[in-house]
Amino acid sequence: MSDIDQTVYVVEDDEAVRDSLELLLKSAKKSVKPYSTANAFLSDYSEKMAGCIVLDIRMPGMDGMELQKKLNDRHSILPIIFVTGHGDVPLAVDAMKEGAVDFIQKPYREGALLEKIESALEQDREQRKTLGEEQEILRRVKTLTPRETEIMGRMIAGQANKVIAIELEISQRTVEIHRSRVMHKMGTHSLAHLVRMILSVKDRIDAK
Amino acid sequence: MTENVDGVTEATILLVDDNAQNLKVLYETLKDRGYRLLIANDGEKAISLARRHQPEVILLDIMMPEMDGYEVCQYLKAHRSTADSAIVFLSALDDVDAKVRGFSLGGADYISKPFQAQEVIARVKTHAQVIRLERELHARNRQLESDQSRILNAISEGIYGLDEVGDIIFANPAAAMTAGCTAEELIGRNFFALHFGDKDVPCHTMEQSGRPVQATCSQGIPEHQRAIVMRRLDGTCFPAEYRSTPKLDGDRLRGAVVVFRDITVELENEQALEEARSVVQAQRDQLAHASRMSTMGEMAAGFAHEVNQPLTAITNYARVALRLISDEPFDKDLLEETLGKIEAQSHRASEVIRRIRRFVKKPAIGKEVLSLSSLLEETRQFAEVDARNNDGGVEVFVAEDVPDVMADPVQVQQVALNLIRNALESTRSAGSHAPVEVSAERRGPECVRITVTDHGKGVTREDEHKLFQPFYTTKEEGMGIGLALCQSLIHAQGGDIGYERPEHSGARFFFTLPVVTRPQPA
Repeated sequence: MSDIDQTVYVVEDDEAVRDSLELLLKSAKKSVKPYSTANAFLSDYSEKMAGCIVLDIRMPGMDGMELQKKLNDRHSILPIIFVTGHGDVPLAVDAMKEGAVDFIQKPYREGALLEKIESALEQDREQRKTLGEEQEILRRVKTLTPRETEIMGRMIAGQANKVIAIELEISQRTVEIHRSRVMHKMGTHSLAHLVRMILSVKDRIDAK
Repeated sequence: MTENVDGVTEATILLVDDNAQNLKVLYETLKDRGYRLLIANDGEKAISLARRHQPEVILLDIMMPEMDGYEVCQYLKAHRSTADSAIVFLSALDDVDAKVRGFSLGGADYISKPFQAQEVIARVKTHAQVIRLERELHARNRQLESDQSRILNAISEGIYGLDEVGDIIFANPAAAMTAGCTAEELIGRNFFALHFGDKDVPCHTMEQSGRPVQATCSQGIPEHQRAIVMRRLDGTCFPAEYRSTPKLDGDRLRGAVVVFRDITVELENEQALEEARSVVQAQRDQLAHASRMSTMGEMAAGFAHEVNQPLTAITNYARVALRLISDEPFDKDLLEETLGKIEAQSHRASEVIRRIRRFVKKPAIGKEVLSLSSLLEETRQFAEVDARNNDGGVEVFVAEDVPDVMADPVQVQQVALNLIRNALESTRSAGSHAPVEVSAERRGPECVRITVTDHGKGVTREDEHKLFQPFYTTKEEGMGIGLALCQSLIHAQGGDIGYERPEHSGARFFFTLPVVTRPQPA
């Protein structure tokens, strides 16, 4: 299983539906946390939450769509599975555009729901893993000296050591030393891997 | 100064004598006394003048050549236009036979010759006065009679005057027309035999004593009956209404007066009216039903949701239960608890369906004794489907002293639901979350008033009076049927419906229903 604790957050105003869903997911060995209103969930929300949200689209007070927007504002990456009623398909389409991973119509089959929950949890894991990798790359980039950063940029752009040496007016041997330090600090042996790593965090380096 | 005989118009006196000297004396005696004096010297002239001028008094000489006074008198009395003149015989014949003969022929008086002027003047004055009064009386009588007969002729109802055994002694033209003959043909016939007699087909199977009008004729009891069957002269039948009142002469019962009329057309009209009413009633029920179906259509998504909630829970619990059973050993208590929850949710789903079925039930189930608190509570649960969609709420307040009402529960609920749904929609479009307030309170001894108040966008003053007009609507997708139908339904319950401007913003609709009237303990 995964190395992080994932929870299925159930946001549902109907007591019976909420209670039955909690029991069902627990019997399927899931960690479950139920909320009766969108507000209750929102005030409990933190970035550390991992797992997915099973969210009723129609609720009194703040409805599912509003909660989704508020979570987006807070850069939540928790995948959302919307639970819709009869005739709510247009709403569900809007929800998908806003980034929901899926929706399921009531009454649903357990198999279909668990399948969707599994895939949402998988997506959550992937996102968190990638998020971890990217943070590591950025951390490594920060250990580079300005000269090393300069040379890494030229390496990624595909310049040969000889060209870099002439343009920077340093010896080819010095370029080679910088190059091996960059590879070492970035923890790779392949230029191709380095290119991919840098491309994955390109936006955040440029933003600095 | 001349003495004037009373009255404005002068009386006419005809003097008849073959002797010119006598005529002259009479003339001199009576002239300048306020009379118009005519003279004739023979019988024929006298008759001719009398016919032309109808004198009040004729002083008539008996002994005349050609036609004597008796003959003239006979002639005058035999003719209507001259019969009422007072004839005073003048004769030298002073024997009793002559006088008796004169009186027997209709003479009024007798003056013997040679006469005294004063006697002539006095007698003429008296007779002139008597005749004038008689004539006035006759004229007055004729006037009255013609007024009465005009009234009786003009009345469209048939009128009979009956004697003690029911023989017809009077019939007006309307009676004759209704009976199918002339008034003359009716006189003398027996009312009972004519109108209720046993002809070939028995029209009326009542006992003799139970016949209409019988009790009035024989016991003086007034009667009134409607839709009895009477016969015409030709034996055909017609439905009739009659009133009969006893005709009394002092204390003695002298028969009856019957006022009656043919009510064939009336009965037909009544039946047509009744049919039209039932058509209207049927159409109102159909429209109400159609409207309920349409409301259900609008609320379908909400109801599907209402049913889907428990179904979803049931599905989940059932899966949990299955998983519990497969555990070894399984948790019996938790399984029982889960199955109990399944049962509860099944009831919840069937309750929703029961509510829908009750609402769309056709036709309307008719008036019954209703508790407003339970009816409004059920309506509130119903409207919650909408409250959910509209993000609003409904609160019901029923005062403790509100008595039960007499009304059709389906139709009352339809009206309440319609008003509540409008209120929720209006609240939502005003961006408010204030709940819709539904309350019931007693208004006077016979009436309960239900109000539905919202804090929505309200009704403009110019729209207020159009609210209940058919096809008037402010909704984009509205037909303008809702409130007009509500009005029709509430009127059918014997209540009223209206709008009033609340103190705060928003709208308030109300309707009233009649309180159940409990039979007084005997």
